[in-house]
Amino acid sequence: MRVAFRVNGVPVEADVGGMEPLLEILRDRFGLTGAKLGCGEGRCGACSVIVDGRTIASCLYPIVLADNQAVRTVEGLAAADGPLDPIQDALLEHGAVQCGACIPGVLMTLTALLERVAQPTEEVIRQELTGNICRCTGYHAIVDAVLDLTTTTSE
Amino acid sequence: MAGGTWIMRASLRGERRKAVHVVLDGIDELHEFQADTLTRIGAMTTHARIAQLTEPALAALARAAATSAFPAVRNVATLGGNLRATPFPEADLVPALLASEARVELAGRRGALTTGIEEFLAAPRPAEELVVSAVIPAPARRISGYQRLTVRGGGEYPVASVALSADVRDDGLVEAARVAIGSVESTARLCLEAGRTLVGRPLTADTAEAAGRVAAQECTPREDAGAPGWYRAAVLPELLRRIGASIAGGATQA
Repeated sequence: MRVAFRVNGVPVEADVGGMEPLLEILRDRFGLTGAKLGCGEGRCGACSVIVDGRTIASCLYPIVLADNQAVRTVEGLAAADGPLDPIQDALLEHGAVQCGACIPGVLMTLTALLERVAQPTEEVIRQELTGNICRCTGYHAIVDAVLDLTTTTSE
Repeated sequence: MAGGTWIMRASLRGERRKAVHVVLDGIDELHEFQADTLTRIGAMTTHARIAQLTEPALAALARAAATSAFPAVRNVATLGGNLRATPFPEADLVPALLASEARVELAGRRGALTTGIEEFLAAPRPAEELVVSAVIPAPARRISGYQRLTVRGGGEYPVASVALSADVRDDGLVEAARVAIGSVESTARLCLEAGRTLVGRPLTADTAEAAGRVAAQECTPREDAGAPGWYRAAVLPELLRRIGASIAGGATQA
């Protein structure tokens, strides 16, 4: 079957069986390797991308469900030669990025959160990140970066 | 197929995926969502949406949805999927639906059918049957809560989960109560005796805990690598105590 959807604003099409994980199609067909296969069961968050404004685990998301949807990945946050997204900058400034394996997923979770809630509380941020596991581990720095970003930009 | 989060993990459970899946997303009836004295929740409604319910009678269901799995899964996983995934002892919504006296609207070869949630769970369902929606009464003076225990905290599968729904009279005493447990046996179940012990008493941490002791006697807990059977039963009083404490403390949701 043929599915047609948008990836980071660009219309794409793919011939698929239908049940391949969205993650596999993003990585193997489109070369978008930011989202990563971690646990393969929806608990680690390394594969998080945004579909229709919501964070989803792309390892568990059959490609057929992406038909006609808008998919956003970490590659879409900043242009290749452009400045970083403010959340990316905030993470860098706070030393929140260590090995980096979890960061593409963390960024997509935070992006969807901040589009929904402009100034999330620390509790909301932590709650939202329960599905994004960081083993380095930079949770405190990640949370501080978001709090700093959202309080600075609102003033 | 609804959100696919269960089907996509088939190989992790040692199961083989079916050769053909049909996406149900395009059927409008499965997306219905009405909150009233009878709340109708379409089968395609996600956990994230159910978590936003605010009626005290539906607090158990909202809490079950809000604490299930992880945000990125809750955004996709549906009510219908939670009901049709089997065997799935740990399904969070099921005990909440049991305690809430939900009815399940179904569609099959012989047309539409409505059945109580207990009856729905009692036997394997025909493969071609669709869950259309759950219909849940939300009368005034009904309060409810849900608690789950995980080994690590966060969104793991619960070792045990408990839903409590109670109808409370003006004098503060319980007129009727239902206790349901999940993850303890192979399928979630009501503990009728546990619910009865609350009748005629105020709903407090202590009375709820006492009901939990009855529930622990009433069930036949399963053993697996996640937890020994005795442990699943032993934590029920504490889980019910937390629900009772939260309700008695003024919150409508535990």
